[in-house]
Amino acid sequence: MNNAAYNDSSLFHAPMVAEVSEHDHHAAPPTPPATCKLGMCIFLCSEALLFSGLITAYLVLRQSAGTWPPNFGDGIELPPMPKLLTGINTVILVSSSFVYHFAEVAVKKGKSGAGWMLLSAMMGATFVGLQCVEWTELYHEGLWFNKGGVYGSTFFTLTGFHGAHVCIGVLLILWCFFLQVTKGTFTPKRHVALENVGLYWHFVDVVWVFLYTILYLV
Amino acid sequence: MSTSLTHDSIAPVEVHGGSHHDDHGHGKPGIMHYLWNTDHKMIALQFLWSATFFLLFGGAMALAMRWQLGFPGHPIPVIGHLLPHSVVNDEGAILPSGYNVLVTMHGTILVFFVAMPLLIGVFGNFLIPLKIGAGDMAFPALNELSYWLFALSGVLMLSSFWVPGGAPGTGWTAYAPLSSVAAYNQTPMGQTLWCAALFVNGLSSITGAVNYITTVITMRAPGMTMFRLPLPVWAIFLTAILLILAIPVLSAAAALIIFDLNFGTTFYRPSGYGQPLLWQHLFWFFGHPEVYILILPAMGLTSEILSVFSRKPVFGYKAMVWAMIAIGFLGFIVWGHHMYVSGMNLTLSAAFSVSTMVIAVPSAIKTFNWMGTIWRGSIHYTVPMAFAVAFVSMFVIGGLSGIFMASTPVDLFVHHTYFIVAHFHYVLFGGSMFAIFAAVYFWFPKMSGRMFNNTLGWIHFWMTFVFFNLTFFPMHNLGLGGMMRRIADPTVYDCLKQLQPLNVVCTIGAMGLGLATLPFVWNIIWSMRNGPKAPANPWNSTTLEWTVSHPIPHGNFAVTPTVYHGPYEYSVPGLVRDFLPQNEKAPAHVTLEAH
Amino acid sequence: MFSRILSLSVFLSSILMAAGAFAEQRNGNVYGLPRCVTTTGMQIDEVMKIIFWLTAVVFVLTQGTYIYYLIVYRRRPGVPAHYSHGNNTLEIIWTTAPTIVFLALAIYGDRLWEDIHRPAPESALTVDVSSYQFGWQFRYPGISGQLAPMDVRKITPQNPFGTDPENPKTAQDVITTDLVIPVGRPVHVLLHARDVIHSFYVPEFRLYQDCVPGRTIGWVWFQATQTGDFQLACNQLCGTGHYNMKAPIKIVSEDEFQKWLTPRQQKNAGIPALPASTPVAAPSPAKAASLTMPSSGNTL
Ligand code: HEA
Ligand code: HEA
Ligand code: CUA
Ligand SMILES: [Cu+2]
Repeated sequence: MNNAAYNDSSLFHAPMVAEVSEHDHHAAPPTPPATCKLGMCIFLCSEALLFSGLITAYLVLRQSAGTWPPNFGDGIELPPMPKLLTGINTVILVSSSFVYHFAEVAVKKGKSGAGWMLLSAMMGATFVGLQCVEWTELYHEGLWFNKGGVYGSTFFTLTGFHGAHVCIGVLLILWCFFLQVTKGTFTPKRHVALENVGLYWHFVDVVWVFLYTILYLV
Repeated sequence: MSTSLTHDSIAPVEVHGGSHHDDHGHGKPGIMHYLWNTDHKMIALQFLWSATFFLLFGGAMALAMRWQLGFPGHPIPVIGHLLPHSVVNDEGAILPSGYNVLVTMHGTILVFFVAMPLLIGVFGNFLIPLKIGAGDMAFPALNELSYWLFALSGVLMLSSFWVPGGAPGTGWTAYAPLSSVAAYNQTPMGQTLWCAALFVNGLSSITGAVNYITTVITMRAPGMTMFRLPLPVWAIFLTAILLILAIPVLSAAAALIIFDLNFGTTFYRPSGYGQPLLWQHLFWFFGHPEVYILILPAMGLTSEILSVFSRKPVFGYKAMVWAMIAIGFLGFIVWGHHMYVSGMNLTLSAAFSVSTMVIAVPSAIKTFNWMGTIWRGSIHYTVPMAFAVAFVSMFVIGGLSGIFMASTPVDLFVHHTYFIVAHFHYVLFGGSMFAIFAAVYFWFPKMSGRMFNNTLGWIHFWMTFVFFNLTFFPMHNLGLGGMMRRIADPTVYDCLKQLQPLNVVCTIGAMGLGLATLPFVWNIIWSMRNGPKAPANPWNSTTLEWTVSHPIPHGNFAVTPTVYHGPYEYSVPGLVRDFLPQNEKAPAHVTLEAH
Repeated sequence: MFSRILSLSVFLSSILMAAGAFAEQRNGNVYGLPRCVTTTGMQIDEVMKIIFWLTAVVFVLTQGTYIYYLIVYRRRPGVPAHYSHGNNTLEIIWTTAPTIVFLALAIYGDRLWEDIHRPAPESALTVDVSSYQFGWQFRYPGISGQLAPMDVRKITPQNPFGTDPENPKTAQDVITTDLVIPVGRPVHVLLHARDVIHSFYVPEFRLYQDCVPGRTIGWVWFQATQTGDFQLACNQLCGTGHYNMKAPIKIVSEDEFQKWLTPRQQKNAGIPALPASTPVAAPSPAKAASLTMPSSGNTL
């Protein structure tokens, strides 16, 4: 009824665990690149679900509002979304993904690739900048988080969440850039951080394509 | 995943110099050793202590609630006047608004700060690397980050008690627009902190889950195929997948509440064409997988303990795994059973009823396989076994009451009554917590190198078992008698007055249950330092963690073990010992049954 | 033996369950269900009884077997455990059998669910129920027999029912704080909430439905089978006063109901009291059409 029964029988295999604690076997190798990338992909799955939640919220609210922009019956005209400007912005952001890819290709070929990195970070920053211009514009046209009901709420929240992701992405790319310029960290053999930032950056771009479609186009 | 991805085949990847240095906190004495230590075993202990604190805290709130329900309006004896004035009045009796705060914080804390960290933070961290034969997690630093995010979220959650307005009183489900409009809930700051805490807590869960999934996929010892994984590892692996997919949706929804409360958005407010039910859909899309997040690891832990102490292989190992996969998958399409009567489209309710009934099937499979496991076994009654045995019974009771509510017409009557409260305490306490107790006792020798005190363990078990049923069984009757949940004073309703004796019984039970927890807490604190030294494999188990002895070194295994067969080879005919460790080849004259 | 005590306790809880949960209908005892006073409530009790007996049988069988195993297969010196990894035939059986049972339950339950929610009969009395932090108001049709049209988007503290002040019927509506309903006649309630979600819960009716702000819930109706006094409870956490958000419900005979309603209708219409026996205009079938918000067909 107690552990006594076990204690004697476990004498059996005491030798199996011999001297483990003698030397510390912990010169743990750095996490292999494949593992790092897998981790990143799993993390991006959860990011995808975050945006799915927001997008679903948007679609549901839009659907149940009847007309879009919704009609609150107060005679206030809600501004349409600036398709063209943002369309150009979309092209910039999507291109930056390709530019980033060139950076990776360059690094794999043993070149620095820092130029491409800087360029893609600048394109990302341009995207954020234009987005800010657009926010200000819409604000002056009477749309804001707290104006225009769900029309304003969803637009600013969704683009805001995405914009925050772009900002983080830009910072990450700049970080890669500085590492590469100052230390030449990324080599053809080892550049997993660069690849992981790339995965993130591509993900953020793809999300934007979805957002652009549902927020501006349809 | 094939074995080509196991630890050994990837380990030889270039070990380049420079950037990697020993920052595992190893050998660093002093306080930093405890604050930033990337060893998975240490992190497990950090989670254990934090969660134990929250168990006492959240449990004490339950006791306060029970006091109010048993003796409405009577001041809480002795400690009543010590409580903050947002919760009690001058005499020390609980205010209606204070009661709401207690319910909310009790539910939130027990779910997010006790059950989840214990199941996932403690056992996920402690067991995964040891059981799959890995030196640590794939991303040790991320792992410690996960703990500190958890700690931060705990601080945020508790700090809501001290902001103007106090902690939120909107239930752990925080239904909008009550939670999203300051004028309705009067606690905008507390509610914002609540949401922020869940957001950060979610980050902690996600970082943890990324680690677990990656570790299980890439770091298994040679020979450890997926279908040779011990069931706790499978369970926590699947749980981690659920976390990755469910948690972000809650994070998004909680962020929207913060925006509604503070930035004037109208996601959940009808005046701006928002939809109150949107919150419920997002919350329960997370919430239902969440309850399986809380039960899957418990099921995995229990399966192993039942097998060890029956000295028998787990009956239907593969069926167990597939059942868990089914639960995980179906868990995402049943959320509407919390919303049958919420105003949701009625046809949807009917559809959700079907999927809810279907999801009970894998639970049935598991129940029958547990019974198959002890069938013709040689059952050793130990403290962990007692809790594991009781787990099965309590889970069945909780599961069967789930069948009532899964039927749409019945839910029309029992929704939001104490029948529900009885249901979920049977699965959450009788299920998850019993499994946690079982697992803490079972792995205590491995975690601390010492044995727990058996007498205290048995006292804990019997008191818990008896008082648990005394507390929660009568709640079925209260619920069927029409008692609503989340009401501060049942006696305001004529039809509930006659039920008051039952409420008193529940309260007495709860006090006993609270007392029962003390020997447990004392046992782990005391035995950690003073228990008799434990042998490396006190239960004669087969899995890899029992092949290392205490103190388990950093890196766990001196030599990466090789695995030759499935995890539960007990009582194999023809062997001298009644167990065959995973890293020992079966002798030539012995054939192992395929599983 | 620990095993014996353990098993005994498990067994005892099974007895408790059987004895406790479903004794006779409650008449002052704490074990059974409260009185059931609606037609649909009785159907619900039927389903519940079936599920109860089903689960009771499953419970006794599984727990009985389990306890039997726990006792019989306790460790005895010299008796080794049987070496077995499982049995596929058994797996198939215990996967299929519960699947069939559960699907049957789902279908049976859902058919009743549909039946309960079929459109209210035309003879039904329509009452507009408005919930707020923390109380209830009820709006009965005025002398015309029709409720004044309302729009959920117009609900404000000043206009709690969202009615149109210009409409002459608005002044005729009879507004009360207790819910009086006739026995034997279907009652169709339109559920509204002014601020947060509340819920319409009456245990004796076996009826729960949330009232959602911004919507009309129009599918709830019931028919009382007995007279008596009951309490309407808000059963959705709605703030500080939630625990005490209740309203009296009186189920009375049709006669008494008319005696109660008619004078109020006449008063609102500015008509001096008539002899109480004068019947009021039967409610018109057009009443539901006067709502500007569709009561169902929402997407969520
Ligand atoms: C660990 C947590 C956990 C688990 C495992 C479950 C399991 C189940 N739950 Fe539970 N549930 C909760 C936690 C959990 N639940 C919580 C916390 C809430 C309330 C949330 C809130 O509102 O605050 C809730 C609420 C809840 C509701 C909403 C009730 C309401 O608010 O009105 C419903 C409705 O369908 C439901 C159903 C089920 C079902 C069908 C199962 C099934 O998975 C159970 C399956 C198991 C069995 C059936 C037993 C074993 C099987 C056999 C022995 C086979 C033979 C059986 C038969 C043939 C009958 N649960
Ligand atoms: C894992 C989850 C879990 C656990 C373990 C528990 C444990 C307990 N719960 Fe829990 N409960 C929930 C999850 C859980 N609960 C949830 C999710 C809700 C829904 C919330 C909502 O509606 O929003 C709920 C709601 C809920 C209600 C319904 C309230 C209402 O609707 O009005 C009640 C009522 O009795 C209750 C009681 C208890 C009791 C008595 C315990 C006992 O087991 C507690 C035992 C006590 C201890 C373990 C503490 C021991 C401590 C001491 C003796 C004091 C020492 C103190 C210090 C040193 C500080 N709970
Ligand atoms: Cu209204 Cu609770
Ligand atoms: Cu659920």
